[in-house]
Amino acid sequence: MVSAPAVEKPASAEALAETLREAASQRLAVIPVGGGMASGMGDPAMRRDVELHTTRLDRVVEHSQADMVVSVEAGITLEALQEHLARAGQFLPIDPFHSPGHTIGGLLATGWTGPLRLRFGSPRDFLIGIRVATPDGKLATGGGRVVKNVSGYDMMKLHHGALGSLGVIVAASFKVFPKPLHDVTVASDGGWADAERALATPVAPSALEVFSDGRTLARYTGSPDAIDRVVRDLGWARVEQSVWAEHSRRAPERWARIAVPKEKLREIVEGLADWWASPGVGVAHWAAPDAASIRDVRVRAEAAGGTLVMLAAPDDLVRDVGAWGTPPRTIEIMRRLKTAFDPDGVLNPGRFVV
Amino acid sequence: MLPRSVAEELRRVAGDDAVIVSPNDLRIFERDGSIEGAMPDAVVLASTTEQVSAVTKIAARSNIPVVPRGAGTGLSGGAVTIRGGIALQVTRMRRILEVDTVAQTALVEPGVVNQELSLAVAQHGLFYAPDPSSQKACTIGGNAAENSGGPHCLYYGVTTNHVLGMEVVLADGSVHWVSGDTPDRVGLDLCGILVGSEGTLCAITKIKVRLLRVPPSIATMLAAFPSIETASQAVSAVIGHGIVPAALEMMDSVTVGAVEAHYHAGYPTDAGAVLLVEVDGIAESTRELMAAISRILTDNHGFGLREAQTPAERELLWAGRKGAIGALGRIKPNYYLHDGVVPRSRLPQVLSAVGEIGEHYKLPVANVFHAGDGNLHPNILFDMRDRDVLPQVESAGEEMLRAVVELGGALSGEHGIGLEKAAFMPWIYSEDDLGAMHRVKDVFDPAGILNPGKIFPDPSRKSVHLAGRTGLAIEARWW
Repeated sequence: MVSAPAVEKPASAEALAETLREAASQRLAVIPVGGGMASGMGDPAMRRDVELHTTRLDRVVEHSQADMVVSVEAGITLEALQEHLARAGQFLPIDPFHSPGHTIGGLLATGWTGPLRLRFGSPRDFLIGIRVATPDGKLATGGGRVVKNVSGYDMMKLHHGALGSLGVIVAASFKVFPKPLHDVTVASDGGWADAERALATPVAPSALEVFSDGRTLARYTGSPDAIDRVVRDLGWARVEQSVWAEHSRRAPERWARIAVPKEKLREIVEGLADWWASPGVGVAHWAAPDAASIRDVRVRAEAAGGTLVMLAAPDDLVRDVGAWGTPPRTIEIMRRLKTAFDPDGVLNPGRFVV
Repeated sequence: MLPRSVAEELRRVAGDDAVIVSPNDLRIFERDGSIEGAMPDAVVLASTTEQVSAVTKIAARSNIPVVPRGAGTGLSGGAVTIRGGIALQVTRMRRILEVDTVAQTALVEPGVVNQELSLAVAQHGLFYAPDPSSQKACTIGGNAAENSGGPHCLYYGVTTNHVLGMEVVLADGSVHWVSGDTPDRVGLDLCGILVGSEGTLCAITKIKVRLLRVPPSIATMLAAFPSIETASQAVSAVIGHGIVPAALEMMDSVTVGAVEAHYHAGYPTDAGAVLLVEVDGIAESTRELMAAISRILTDNHGFGLREAQTPAERELLWAGRKGAIGALGRIKPNYYLHDGVVPRSRLPQVLSAVGEIGEHYKLPVANVFHAGDGNLHPNILFDMRDRDVLPQVESAGEEMLRAVVELGGALSGEHGIGLEKAAFMPWIYSEDDLGAMHRVKDVFDPAGILNPGKIFPDPSRKSVHLAGRTGLAIEARWW
């Protein structure tokens, strides 16, 4: 029987579900942990009795190259999975910041994304199956291993980005993608104006990042003739692909994520220092200097219909500003869902909005 | 029968001309595009969100079922009022409220017809990507409720990938906005769980969708193959080469024969199977991709490759594909189809099982489907005037789905579970899996008034029975 404080690292989904059940039956607060790369996201948990790690659930359960579908346990790292897929000429288009070290389960729970979201969407768009342990010790699967599926409710959406508040993700299936035939990155110093030019090219970039110092990176993937023409017409300098790995290591100590309708992003971040943004998506990451400026930018982001969420910061700063901002108007419905799945509120108590 | 007081209340909130209770008029709303029908007690033709909300409140108070309904083209019985109650028709709510050409979004009412949206935004060089074959009739509201697909979803994704937010009415009549055009919203993804919930969690009253830029160049090619197996292998080979076409559709020889007789689209009738392949992008890219695809198809026993040279030719190739089921009426007047989906590499196996099942029951089967997605559409062809055939058709369909599930597949790729496949859900989900979905249902609709009898197996209905009238293939232009 688990007792607090504990660090549990179960070796199977069934064992994880049982540990979760035992903890919940004693009303112990459970903090699910993957790679720990997003452990600063959200408000500080009110209690942390049991850390429940998924790190030993690290297998590729099944990868069918021909079907372009992979099923993995939640504790596998993104890098290990990409290495496996690369041997078959495939990849999962997720490139989160604060890499390397994220687990698949952690990425799904946090909903973190990176520059490639512009072309491929977020994991929400290519997650096709999920298995979740709930505090009653049950394991529930949603979706399946086919790329198109409307059999029952879309349970993947319920858990993606829910920060483990409804259950602990133990396995997932994805639609994977072929490595692009051609993959070219170009850079300029032209800031927003250049970024907007790149977004309007006849083949849209797969990733486009603009930085507070005016630097702009664009990544084009597709068939060689088409990409070469677009890149030639754009006229920016080619740079090494390694800029993306370097970019993905970014993780400011006081880290705020701003998300607004994409056409409003520029006016929100202009005037701030030390940020980078995906203008085609509507997301910016900002190394925030202090509580007052966080409050100010959050007011402006929310007025634009968006959000400012703290991805990392010292606890006292997060307590001061709050990780999430104004609760959504549908918070009552969300609370009812939380209660239905976690009636005793043992999962990540106080950390998420519900 | 609806209590007279309830009918009066409905008239008061929706207007006299918006409430139908006469049995003769109700009959029009007895069925959708599927097999089984049931009469509603009343139909309300709602014009506003407020009316949808008020009707739902009345129903909640009297514990009467409410079944949201769009164009009624659904193929799984999602809009059938199997427990009576109110069919809440939203086709009068058909305004495109807003088109934002900068943000590339549109805000529409649920009754807007799928193709009308693409036609309306074409002047801005934009289109709405999900394209069910019924797109000339089906509504965006119905598409969102069913999470509909279509031929071009192979590359572009299905409805849920294109819905940014919705205004919904819950079982208590309350009105809410879920999600919107901001990425990374705070809280649970309510919009994500509501899309595809088949009217069992909410009624949808507004939808904000993403629009895409019309690609400057489109190339469409038809290729013949000696057999379904060789065509299936060619599909895997194309995708295995790292090419994901915009669409990759297959038709078997039975379908090709019927389509060619009807449309004269130039489909090769001597082929065992035909593939329709489309790529889009800029001219360089479509040229390059089509050249690569041609090589792969030829290497995999493809012959008679023919690329559409004009937009009219392309339209004709697609007319044959999208109208295939109607054309099947030349063979038998009625059809019954499932849309099970298998991992793509299992296509040859599942199609050979489908063929064997058809032979066993002595029923012709015509296959026409989204091969790139592994999404089958086996059409069992029959004549309903032969009454003894119905149980055979039902058993054949069930066995085909069983074969799909045994090969690692799912019950439905895009048509929904509805009434038709609810009894089969335990084939793919455990009690705990279904229990988790039930928790969601209970949160949104604790009294169970929204579209009851759908998705979840109903212990009181042992199996699905084909009853009454069945789909007339000759009338159908979609599936």
